[in-house]
Amino acid sequence: MMMESRTREIKDSPGMWERIKKNSLVQGWLVLLLALFFGSALASVQLSLGPKIEMNKLNETLSKVPELVLGASRAHEMEAKNQELGIEPMTIEVNKNNKRVLYNVYKTTYNGEINGWVAKTSGQGYAGSIELLLGLDPGMELITGLFILDQKETPGLGNKIVTEQWRKQFINKPTKNRLIVVKDGADAVNEIDAITGATISSKSVSNIMNTAISDLKGQLISGQSSNR
Amino acid sequence: MADQPTATERFIQGVLPENPVYRQLLGLCPVLAVSNNMKAAVTMAASVTFVLLCANVVTSLIRNLLKPHLRIVVFTLTIATFVTIADRILAAYLYQMSKTLGPYIPLIIVNCIIICRCEVCASKQSVFTAASDAIGQSLGFALALSSIAAIREILGTGMFFELRVLPAAWPDWVIMALPPGAFLTFGVMLAAINWISSNK
Amino acid sequence: MSYLTDIFLIALGAALINNFVLYYFVGICPFVGVSRRVEMAFGMGCAVTFVITIAAFLCWVITTFILMPGAPLSKWVAGFFVSADVAAGIDLTILSYIVYIFAISSSVQFVEMYVRKFFPVLYSSFGVFLPLITTNCAILFACLTIMSNIVGVDNPADAWDLGRSLTLAIFGGVGFTIAIVIMAGIREDLELCDIPKPFQGVAITLIVGGILAMAFMGFTGVDSGLRNAMIPM
Repeated sequence: MMMESRTREIKDSPGMWERIKKNSLVQGWLVLLLALFFGSALASVQLSLGPKIEMNKLNETLSKVPELVLGASRAHEMEAKNQELGIEPMTIEVNKNNKRVLYNVYKTTYNGEINGWVAKTSGQGYAGSIELLLGLDPGMELITGLFILDQKETPGLGNKIVTEQWRKQFINKPTKNRLIVVKDGADAVNEIDAITGATISSKSVSNIMNTAISDLKGQLISGQSSNR
Repeated sequence: MADQPTATERFIQGVLPENPVYRQLLGLCPVLAVSNNMKAAVTMAASVTFVLLCANVVTSLIRNLLKPHLRIVVFTLTIATFVTIADRILAAYLYQMSKTLGPYIPLIIVNCIIICRCEVCASKQSVFTAASDAIGQSLGFALALSSIAAIREILGTGMFFELRVLPAAWPDWVIMALPPGAFLTFGVMLAAINWISSNK
Repeated sequence: MSYLTDIFLIALGAALINNFVLYYFVGICPFVGVSRRVEMAFGMGCAVTFVITIAAFLCWVITTFILMPGAPLSKWVAGFFVSADVAAGIDLTILSYIVYIFAISSSVQFVEMYVRKFFPVLYSSFGVFLPLITTNCAILFACLTIMSNIVGVDNPADAWDLGRSLTLAIFGGVGFTIAIVIMAGIREDLELCDIPKPFQGVAITLIVGGILAMAFMGFTGVDSGLRNAMIPM
């Protein structure tokens, strides 16, 4: 009897409690609680893994630098002897036809002397863009190495640009003349063999390198002293 | 709840009779996109397993508190959180692989398998059943994904897990490693499975 | 490179060369499920294009002003609580996936309400597809691509602006529409064919999709050729 009258009372007068219960924020308490819980979980993931991910991003390029300047065998030799190359990252701004182009360049030093340069550059390939690292000697006279960081070329044809076998023909090419890709066996100093069935990919790589070299050559040599 | 399948039934159903890919045709996007080599396929399957297991367990734990109209919001929030965690773990410990998989890891959020399992099983049954359902379904997904990846990698490059299995004279069927190969392989596999199950 | 050339190449790439469905495999579910009739396929394509544009706009705004490292709005808000140089380093990219998926689902809700109220004719033609779109990978994929072109670039000057982002989204949607309408046209004719039993349904759709993908592969390299023609190296 009492129960019944009470329920009727609540039904008749929708009091404060009822109104609070109908409020959408209260209805969503589970979502809010979960959001808080997941938010703290994500924060802890970010705090514990964030630095490691940043390191991975940096190491991806930095770990390749010694090999590109010194060549694979000497780089391993130095690593075995625990000698370390000084690597100083810098950003070079090039003005080209009234447009600013930015290059990420790594200056490598050993015992205080400049050992060589590594430049990160990218450009259009056959399918999508190609991102590569280019190693140059201190006077920017010779190419000392090439490494492809990212590419989307055709598997089995164009993506052979990542193979060492193809990349190694760039080593010790002079930068005085533009690199030219040929299909029938390279014999001149500035000629590069094209990959069979992937002439455009091969040409793209050498064009990206040509552009970077001609952009950077004057800048780095003249700007050596002014760059901190 | 008598008519709900038990944990063991859920597990067995997920692997073959109700295989998420071949039978329910769910989650086709990763099956086609990351099946051109085994390593990527295995990483993808592991990430899906992690997300599905966590999402199913969390959903099952809070199943009595769920309001009908906020159900989907809760599912989405849970799935998106675990996908973010999986993505960060991959970026920290398998950096190259996470670069290769690129956007397909975050795309697990909109993978229908996970939201479907949360809805069908985890929001109705106990934690243990939900977990075994998640493992069964992920195993089914992994089987389907790796069956296609194995065919595509072997025919496309002559290699399996980057080890050569076909003689060097094999003319690599480059088309198998390219997008059309994914459609063709999956179409033929699906037809083969239809044929086998109709002959039973 | 001139801005228009860049826009043109992004549009061409999204619509044909790297088609969302036939190259990236996103939006496969509607491609297989809603491609039985040409009118339905076209309706679906329009709905996706519509939503993808709105989602891309939201995504660009949110990423540029709130999520990316050193974004102005979060820097300003955080400036009230912590010192200025801590606030400048705030990086909310870890929240991006959660924020995008909620931006997409809420924009789908709003679009549905708005279209039903003000454009009943339009609603009757593609309204039924709108709820399905929330779980369409193509939308989230466009958002992720835009994000990687804002957050993932080496030099801040290369980050995509709103124009590039919207171009990618609109032409991604157009590419999706092209693919699904061609597919529906083929499937209408397939119904008259004598297909072996195991292949009927999804299997033959996928194989036709494979042949379509082969045809679209013919576009590969068009953009690099055009780029070289337009910008002398």
